Amino acid sequence: MMPSLLDGLSWLLLLSGCACLLISAIGLIRMPDLFTRMHAAGIGDTLGAILVLAGLMLQSGLSITLIKLVLILFFLLFTSPTACHALARAALAGGQKPLLAEPNADNSPAEQSPS
Amino acid sequence: MSTLIDLILLTLMAITAIAALQLKDLFGAVMLTGIYSLLSALWFLILDAADVSFTEAAVGAGISTVLMLGTLALTRRDEKIPSHPRILPLFVVAITGAILVYGTLDMPAFADPEAPIHTHVAPHYIEKSGEEIGVPNIVTSVLASYRGYDTLGETTVIFTACIGVLLLLGIGRRREDDES
Amino acid sequence: MMFEVAAVALFPAMFLALARAIAGPTVYDRVLAVNTFGTFTVLMIAVLGFMTDQKDFIDIALAYALINFIGTIAVLKFFAVGDFGYQQESKK
Repeated sequence: MMPSLLDGLSWLLLLSGCACLLISAIGLIRMPDLFTRMHAAGIGDTLGAILVLAGLMLQSGLSITLIKLVLILFFLLFTSPTACHALARAALAGGQKPLLAEPNADNSPAEQSPS
Repeated sequence: MSTLIDLILLTLMAITAIAALQLKDLFGAVMLTGIYSLLSALWFLILDAADVSFTEAAVGAGISTVLMLGTLALTRRDEKIPSHPRILPLFVVAITGAILVYGTLDMPAFADPEAPIHTHVAPHYIEKSGEEIGVPNIVTSVLASYRGYDTLGETTVIFTACIGVLLLLGIGRRREDDES
Repeated sequence: MMFEVAAVALFPAMFLALARAIAGPTVYDRVLAVNTFGTFTVLMIAVLGFMTDQKDFIDIALAYALINFIGTIAVLKFFAVGDFGYQQESKK
């Protein structure tokens, strides 16, 4: 119908999706502890995948490829959060503690060290 | 463009392999082996070997990671540091690599129509499969008859993988208590 | 053209995820990095399929998404219970 419009939209989606993936990968490196890293990875696993696959869907047109891409997106959206949740649970059970900002800052004076 | 992608992929694979060798934490090494397997599957895909890539992903990234973790559960998780440098293994590896590289020199050029793969059994399959097997589809007769044992092995692999997946996900197992 | 750009943008992301898998102090960091790397691989295969106009790559990307999930769950189950769940059940 409007190939140039579809192309432009597809460009936009793909580029923003790739930007999301890059941001999540940078977050994976830069974040200080496991749970914040999972937070960063979630960007790429959900929003990045959605945007990239949506950009590809606009390119595929109405075909069997479109259905397969929808299926990939469906499975990714099911499995990535599930895996992330399982990872957080396993990490907590394995003794990993989330890194909190200043543990004794304001609301727990009883635990303050004597120094 | 495709050369660039090849180069980047091979660099990634080399980095992963070297890091897996250097790592003293064996769980980490197993994780890196999984990544290596994903990368080599991607590499097979780029080389147009979709079925090999598929098997590599299922067996390499799926089953072998689980098997190695099961092994680690029975042994220790830190690498034992060898007390002396190992010359003999390095020697054996170097010789084997040299022989393999020497072997590639005799290989036919890529897409050579005179290559043995095109002149050996393929014409036989194309001409004779109709009378020998009696199945109209040549691919079916090659898969199910000429290479029957191969296909049997493949289906065994897939069957084993299916059983592993079912066991891992706990389908069909009753749980009276709450989740573990 | 745009698929090439996407592929080239995906590679640094894969590099960074690999760096986290190598550096990761805990084993959970490595599992997270492998999972993310798997997602990147799935997207990479889809993009490469469009780039080289071989649409059957999409099937493989679909299968990878599932394999990645199964692998992550298996590894996590292993870390959560120490083996694949039988010992704990037999203890009860």
